[in-house]
Amino acid sequence: MTESGTPDGPDGPDASPGGRTGGPPDWFRSALLVLLALVVLAPVFGWAAGQVGYAEPMENAAEATGAADQADALHHGLMPDYSVPGLGSAAGTLVAALAGTALTLAVATGFGRLLANGNGAD
Amino acid sequence: MHIPDGYVNLSVAVTVAVVTVVVLAVAARRVDGDIDGERAPLVGVVAAGIFAAQMLNWPIPGGTSAHFVGGALAAVLLGPHLGALAVATVVTVQSLVFGDGGVVVLGANVFNMAVIEVYVGYAVYRLLAPYSRFGAAFAAGWLGITAGAVAAALQLGVSSAFAYETLTVLAVMGVSHLLLGLVEGAITAVVSRSLVDARPDLWPDRTEVSAR
Repeated sequence: MTESGTPDGPDGPDASPGGRTGGPPDWFRSALLVLLALVVLAPVFGWAAGQVGYAEPMENAAEATGAADQADALHHGLMPDYSVPGLGSAAGTLVAALAGTALTLAVATGFGRLLANGNGAD
Repeated sequence: MHIPDGYVNLSVAVTVAVVTVVVLAVAARRVDGDIDGERAPLVGVVAAGIFAAQMLNWPIPGGTSAHFVGGALAAVLLGPHLGALAVATVVTVQSLVFGDGGVVVLGANVFNMAVIEVYVGYAVYRLLAPYSRFGAAFAAGWLGITAGAVAAALQLGVSSAFAYETLTVLAVMGVSHLLLGLVEGAITAVVSRSLVDARPDLWPDRTEVSAR
């Protein structure tokens, strides 16, 4: 939204994106759009994985050694297996993808700010 | 590659978890002050992108497939220490919120995907970057995910649930991921090149890497 209209100061447009006002950097909006595109793809890939009988090598190794029935889910999480109880599979996957991506964005940005030297930390 | 609870012996899970905590603590100290506040959201965006990309299971027919793990990509983009912390965040959210990967075995899953894939991937990248950055990123993804799978196979293979059949587990997981890892390598190379081409100013300058 402020891609080219706002003066960025003496350092030039790329050197200090959004830094002086404390707002989001200039690339942040495009990054969110890319994340959103990945989130929207999640139900599509979820459907496709079901069609081809998706299984990972670890599951094959578990079958081969008889470990498969030893798996013991001690904790299912709020959205077990990327689904939302009560929602259909595509809608549940979409909500799970959105929530997980947003949560990861928030937590990892927090780590980044904690580890940054000074000016970004609140 | 997300190990559920019950697959790995408790002693193995605890040992690997302790190593993981030590490595991540060192990583956090090493990175302290390396980034400025403006680039802090970059860590969040890379981690969130890896979370979302990990949900896209490759629909390869035939019953054996995988999904992007992204440890090597995080290392190439953010450097190894921030990369490890970013992927550790992803794996922790997956376990706690979505039940993907066990809780007792969380330390082992973080070790395989956020420590082994990240640092092996980064070592491969540094070694090959002087010849070709694209090729180096490809090899980093390919060998990084394979190394992560081998680490997981070792943990599983020395555990009672897998009947201590270490060689069988190593063969199944190692060989499969060596093949599937080609996709991880391709994604790592293409995505890192396009992001660096689009905004060369955002990513740590690794020209000193090629100088060595």
